[in-house]
Amino acid sequence: MLNYVIKRLFSMIPVLVGISILLFFMLRMLPGDPAQVLAGQMASPEEIETIRKQLGLDRPVYEQYLSYLGRLVRLDLGRSARTQNPVIEEIWARLPNTALLAVVAIGLACLFGIPAGVISAVRPYTWVDYAVTMGALFGISMPVFWLGLMLVVVFAVVLRWLPAGGTGSWQHVVLPSVTLASFVVAFIARMTRSTMLETLSLDYISTARSKGLKEEVVVIKHALKNALIPIVTVVGLQFGLLLGGAVLTETVFAWPGIGRLIVDSILARDYPVIQGTILIFGLLYILVNLAVDILYVVIDPRIRYE
Amino acid sequence: MRQLMNRFGKVLAIAVLAAAGLWPAAPSAQAQGKEIKELVIAIGVDADTLNPQEQTTTLIQNMCDLIYDDLFFQDPAGKLHPRLATKYEVSPDGLTYTLHLRKGVKFSDGTDFNADAVKLTFERALDPKLRVPLRFAIGMVKECVKIDDHTVALKLNYPFAPLGPTLSMTLVSPISPAAIQKYGDEVRQHPVGAGPYILKEWVKGDRLVFVRNENYYGEKPTVAQITWKIVPEDATREAMLRSGQVHVCYKPLPSNLAALKADSGITVEMPLDTRTIFMGLNCQKGVTVDKKIRQAFNYAVDKKAIVKKILFDTAQPMDGPVSPVVFGYQKMDQSYDYNPEKAKQLLKEANFDFSKTVAMRTPQGRYLFDKQVSEAVQAYLQAIGVKIELRTYDWPTYTAGLLKPLAETELEVFLLGWGPLILDADMGLYGQFTCEVNPPKGLGSAFYCDAEYDAIMKDSRKEQDPQKRLDLLKKASQKVWDDCPWIWLHVEKFVIAYSSKIKGMVVTPTEKFYPQYVTLN
Repeated sequence: MLNYVIKRLFSMIPVLVGISILLFFMLRMLPGDPAQVLAGQMASPEEIETIRKQLGLDRPVYEQYLSYLGRLVRLDLGRSARTQNPVIEEIWARLPNTALLAVVAIGLACLFGIPAGVISAVRPYTWVDYAVTMGALFGISMPVFWLGLMLVVVFAVVLRWLPAGGTGSWQHVVLPSVTLASFVVAFIARMTRSTMLETLSLDYISTARSKGLKEEVVVIKHALKNALIPIVTVVGLQFGLLLGGAVLTETVFAWPGIGRLIVDSILARDYPVIQGTILIFGLLYILVNLAVDILYVVIDPRIRYE
Repeated sequence: MRQLMNRFGKVLAIAVLAAAGLWPAAPSAQAQGKEIKELVIAIGVDADTLNPQEQTTTLIQNMCDLIYDDLFFQDPAGKLHPRLATKYEVSPDGLTYTLHLRKGVKFSDGTDFNADAVKLTFERALDPKLRVPLRFAIGMVKECVKIDDHTVALKLNYPFAPLGPTLSMTLVSPISPAAIQKYGDEVRQHPVGAGPYILKEWVKGDRLVFVRNENYYGEKPTVAQITWKIVPEDATREAMLRSGQVHVCYKPLPSNLAALKADSGITVEMPLDTRTIFMGLNCQKGVTVDKKIRQAFNYAVDKKAIVKKILFDTAQPMDGPVSPVVFGYQKMDQSYDYNPEKAKQLLKEANFDFSKTVAMRTPQGRYLFDKQVSEAVQAYLQAIGVKIELRTYDWPTYTAGLLKPLAETELEVFLLGWGPLILDADMGLYGQFTCEVNPPKGLGSAFYCDAEYDAIMKDSRKEQDPQKRLDLLKKASQKVWDDCPWIWLHVEKFVIAYSSKIKGMVVTPTEKFYPQYVTLN
């Protein structure tokens, strides 16, 4: 197992190098001159040229990449062209916020999504199942932006129970995490329902029932445990995506996360920040996937990694 | 010589008169009110830098004003008030401005504010190695010479009459020399000025917290702490204002203004701005070379309808080439009111080729409803038979096309905004319509170039007599208005909403507001 983990960690290196190459060259293909954006609307061509030199953008692209890779090896993500702050500082200032939101949202989604999916599967084609299915459909279809604003209007403006946006207390986390969770909960509920339905129709469940086991034990211990693998996969993928920042939710709730940083950097053509954040996002995504793979072993002892 | 001396006398008198007025009346009058512990202001963007010389965003310049203070303050009526500089004198040839600095002032780190600090500020602003996006605004300054501890002389390359108001720009706000020594370029993260506030905390993407500078030379601010809360979404800023989470909402959603105005708990201010929004028409290339066609395009567009239906009255149709709030504005006699029949007639007279497709370009998300405004203009032009192909770009892509020289430019009809940073017409009339600013040297992307116009504008820069200068600016305005290098669209309004308990907010047409002396009822 340890060997497997080490091997997986090493395999991250070519993946990250691949991401860095793709990202670096794709960004340079974007129209728009970062030097001009930085120099301002009224800068002279000479001033724009000076900034281009300062940013190293006057050199051939391959040279720029090699120099970037050289810094990357020393774990230096460079400095933001816009703020001149080290990119790692810019990311670090926002990553904990994004992580907090992602953890709470995914926690809420699991808390409500898995039981809803289980109940729905245990009582298929009843009003409970239809209600859960409708709820899930509602959650998936509802634009996050709209839901967020509606929650703000109801809970912040009308009832004044919760703050409309910002950070600072547990109350601030409630609305953005519920908004984010609404989408993920629907996914998890649908996935749980379908895998549970499949599992509940298997022979060993009939055997368990015929042994006279309580229905709760059959459903939770025998069915759910075996249905967990695809659910964990979905949860892992969703969690990885959330770690990349939920731009719309962060925007609506003035949540200072990584999503806004990426968007703002793209709009300013701030290459170092875009490269740094996407690379970190890639790294986190790989790590979450690794964690999910390890979790498979815990859930299903039959799985062995050599 | 006598004439020059008379002129000098007048200029000196104006400067001294300006110096006689102390702080703007509104803030001082409110200073007696109850102290506010914290004022929370919801804004849309985080600061990228708090070095005033690197800043182009008006909102962040506004923050810098509170940290650094300015040499002068230009009030909403355009009058200059002394701040860190108490007065200035202009030499008879207009090439030397002598600035008298306020005595007994210290930066918030205890460093003395003096001529050395101002000299260093100008030297840095003029240093081509440093990134100073608005350097062009003081491009006429050759050097800053120290006369004595509290006097400096600005030597100019050429006479520049509106230098007085230019000195009210955040661009030349003095920075503590000790802070520059200590932090170097990182002063952008560690701002130290002589203003009424000090940066206490900066949580990236979330908030900036300013606390009162207890050693401030001026009247003690009534607000002990200002928290700038970063809320990117307009609707959320508004919700936070309505729920009482913030006191001030910067630029709320225009579509909700009617509802905000109807709310007795909220005050909405929307003074006319300096920024004009226009559709540039290439004067040297493509179908818009003919003046009659440019005039026809102006008659074809219903600007009043655009302002009312698309912009929710957060703008006003242009009736002169610059905003009514700037010195040098004059309402033009000739109007380009919506008249599609006249537009068609002019196109006919110009033998317009209706088979040609005209390229229209627009940014998206840069100005208020920019894409929608462009679509409306496209529809109006199509209604008189002109084929228009509209392309939309994000701002970085769009700006790359603006500075291309005539031979390379693809611009025929394009939407852009231009907001002078001081209340003077020069930055608009000179900065957009002289041959000198045709790309790639400047942003006069309509490629308007007229020798007579240039001569008038150059004379206006030399002219120190305000009345004579006003006449010249009006003459230039009339010429360019008739030549139509733009479809004259609208002048934006600066919208700010705040709790109606707040009294004494100073809001300026340069999109700035000064909350330091407000009181809460």
